[in-house]
Amino acid sequence: MLLFSNITREAKFLFKQSYLLSLLSIVFLLSTFAVWSGISESNSQLSTIERLQEKDTIDRKNVLANQTSFGSAAYYSFHLTYSPPSAMAFAAMGQRDIYPWKHRVRMLALEGQIYETDADNPELSFLGRFDFAFLVSVLLPLFVILLLHDLRSAERESGRYDLLITTARKQQRLWLSRASVLCLALVGALLLPFIIGALTTQATLASIGLIVLVVLGHLLFWMFLTLSYTATNRAAKQNSAHIASVLLSIWLVVTILIPVVTDIIIDKLVESPNGGDIVMTQREAVNAAWDLPFSATWNEFLPTHPQWQEKTQMDSLFAWKWYYAFQQVGDQKASALSKTYRNAILKKDAMAGNFSYLSPAMMTQRLMSSIAKTNTIASMEYEQKIRNYHQKLRDFYYPLLFNETEFNYQIMSELPQFSEQIKISKNDKENS
Amino acid sequence: MNSVINQITRHEWRYWHRTKLAFSVILIGTLLTIISVMVNTQSMQHTAHEREHLQQSSEAQFLDQPDRHPHRMVHYGHYVFRTPSPLSIIEPGVDAYTGTAIFLEGHKQNSAMFADQRQASGMTRFSSLTPSFLLQVLAPLFIILIGYASVTREKEAGTLNIIFTQGVNLRHLIIGKYLAIVSCGLMMLLPLIVAGIWATFDGESIFITGSFVIGYVFYILIWSGIVIAVSALSNKNSVSFAVLIAIWIAFCILLPRIGSSTAAALAPSPGKLEADFAVLDELRKLGDGHNAADPAFEQLKKNLFTQYNVDKIEDLPINFRGTVAQYSEKKLTDVLNIFAEKRMQEELAQAKISRLFGWLTPTTAMRSFSMIMAGTSLETHHRFLREAEKLRFDFVQSLNKVHQDSLSYQADANRYKNAETAKMARVDAKNWQVLSSFSFEPDSEITRLSRSFPYIIQLFFWLVAIGFIFRIAIRRIR
Repeated sequence: MLLFSNITREAKFLFKQSYLLSLLSIVFLLSTFAVWSGISESNSQLSTIERLQEKDTIDRKNVLANQTSFGSAAYYSFHLTYSPPSAMAFAAMGQRDIYPWKHRVRMLALEGQIYETDADNPELSFLGRFDFAFLVSVLLPLFVILLLHDLRSAERESGRYDLLITTARKQQRLWLSRASVLCLALVGALLLPFIIGALTTQATLASIGLIVLVVLGHLLFWMFLTLSYTATNRAAKQNSAHIASVLLSIWLVVTILIPVVTDIIIDKLVESPNGGDIVMTQREAVNAAWDLPFSATWNEFLPTHPQWQEKTQMDSLFAWKWYYAFQQVGDQKASALSKTYRNAILKKDAMAGNFSYLSPAMMTQRLMSSIAKTNTIASMEYEQKIRNYHQKLRDFYYPLLFNETEFNYQIMSELPQFSEQIKISKNDKENS
Repeated sequence: MNSVINQITRHEWRYWHRTKLAFSVILIGTLLTIISVMVNTQSMQHTAHEREHLQQSSEAQFLDQPDRHPHRMVHYGHYVFRTPSPLSIIEPGVDAYTGTAIFLEGHKQNSAMFADQRQASGMTRFSSLTPSFLLQVLAPLFIILIGYASVTREKEAGTLNIIFTQGVNLRHLIIGKYLAIVSCGLMMLLPLIVAGIWATFDGESIFITGSFVIGYVFYILIWSGIVIAVSALSNKNSVSFAVLIAIWIAFCILLPRIGSSTAAALAPSPGKLEADFAVLDELRKLGDGHNAADPAFEQLKKNLFTQYNVDKIEDLPINFRGTVAQYSEKKLTDVLNIFAEKRMQEELAQAKISRLFGWLTPTTAMRSFSMIMAGTSLETHHRFLREAEKLRFDFVQSLNKVHQDSLSYQADANRYKNAETAKMARVDAKNWQVLSSFSFEPDSEITRLSRSFPYIIQLFFWLVAIGFIFRIAIRRIR
């Protein structure tokens, strides 16, 4: 009860200060902008996917209408794959602007296609987006510092300090309740637009709760850091600006210096093959096959696909089954490199995860994009889905090609489709 | 009069020397810039060598291919790599976010692959250890830490009036303090100047590096001006500090990103895939270049028949398949280029919206200027795409011409019959020499300068605005 009366008293006192109200309204506006632009980005991604799906279906229908063999059907038809933004993606766009979330593949060697990227405008990615995660991870600490650094020193400088601590029953409680009021107001201004946004995109309550927890955690960290520094004897001798510059340097170190230094360390520690080598290896393997005896292709292909052992005879110098077999061989030859490449990305990401314990800003960013499923891992999962889908295409076409089945449209209607739940319906809020 | 200003400047320096804070800020700022210049120079040179090497080996591999059917080489394709510009040791710009390699092949325009950020740890999405980031974002903060109290200090201690009674002109006082702060900021620029000289030896024109460095000097002048003006307008150290930090957050962190988000929201770009579908729609009307029997080529055939006065494809002195390949590649490329051009214009329009924020924050103005001058802006990436496309079209068409002129229609038609006919359907490997070598050079000085003109105006605008605020500040103190 005492704490409550403390808090109401402090609130009445603090909200009379106009600078506080203007700071809070700025935070509120920033958060509104971040949420609005995030939702607009999410919506535009969703509608892009819908338009693409439609065009993809029309295109494949058109292509298949002109085909006379399964081989050429596979050669000419592209297939759309996509990874829709989660309902929470608006709050943390994460890595979605540099890793692709839409991709078209066909039955040719996958290693030659999968690195194609329909990425966002590089200049905008370079400038960075202003999303809610950025607001929370980078700017929130600065707001806390601006609000709380002169808690004591402002009173000291205006000569009220001694009076205040003699009249307060418990000194600690006074500062704590004052800081709590300020931070509660801050977090309110920050979270209100977010929660409204999350409810309109129908994000799950669990994910909203998790994000709120992350925001509170980050806020509490900076609140206690600021409070404990301002309580030191060292700070007692410093003026407001001096205290703020010390806190600012801490922010600078954990938000900027630690991430850039760890980035260099991670880069040195993790050996990664050059992406160019993967595609070159694949290309050499695929193109050399034309000049090599057929047996060269079959000798590589059959060990992984022994079921077609008896079906390799060819009437002419060209047969689609042989063509796709050497595409497969191209992938097989590049597969070791490609795996190392992907593992290097995952390893770097895991190390960044460990290093982020040193940087609350990075930690917050990573947690939020992991809740929103927009982090590197989510992008790599999408890549794996593309690989799996491509495999399904091969599983579909190989029997038709090797058994030399007569082409007919009936069979083509069983062509595997890439599917991913995209609209989240009202009764099924769980996003897949 | 000058000696008064001089004295004030020197006095300010002595004060900073006494207080450890200012001194250590300058030291840390300069050290960080030196380190970042060294790290960046090393990594950029490594990248440059690696890509040059990849480019050469890619060309050598193409030329080393054995005798083949020319269309096989169209699909064998070629890789081009973008070598970084000399000034990217200071301003890497969009380089880390754009792909660095493109696979060139017939009938397709591929996107650039392997952007560095996709292989990075993700730790550098907010900050990066590049000299440009340090100078554009952190240097203003350091200037604030050094100078926020330069006038308010005197006000709080009551020494301002003493200085006036000694006959010092207020304007001289402000100018003296301003010069002191500017000189601190310029110390952080020293490593940049060294790197600029390095880039000049690396092939960058002295005119460009000169203007580049002058741009950064402007930026220091602007921020030092903001700091002095706020300090002169405030009554207390703490107020001056809080206001300056708020301005720094707004100018260096908030507004540039708000600019980028605004651009994405106002002018959404549909992306390459969507354009690809539109291209496909167009292409269906053009016919398949692999299939010379496609009815779309009927007119072409008739024209050739009248030109050579024959009535059978077999009687044509040229290989009709090669002609069709050339014809359809040309048509297709025209369509592809229309869409590629449209997409680049869309991206540029987005970038220009975000650069308009240079009127709201000097940081964006500086960044646009810096990227364009260094040749690491979106425009340069687009030129890379265009040059790669030109190379692609040239070698594909040259191969198609070889297909038309050096391979008989009969041999071509029978290429899959047996090993003997397959051998007949090949052309000599010396034909692969049609590939011209690729090296990506930075834009010319004039192009870069004229492109950065709007941002030079923005920087001037900020300088003028600062001068204006100075006048207000001087009037207010009186």
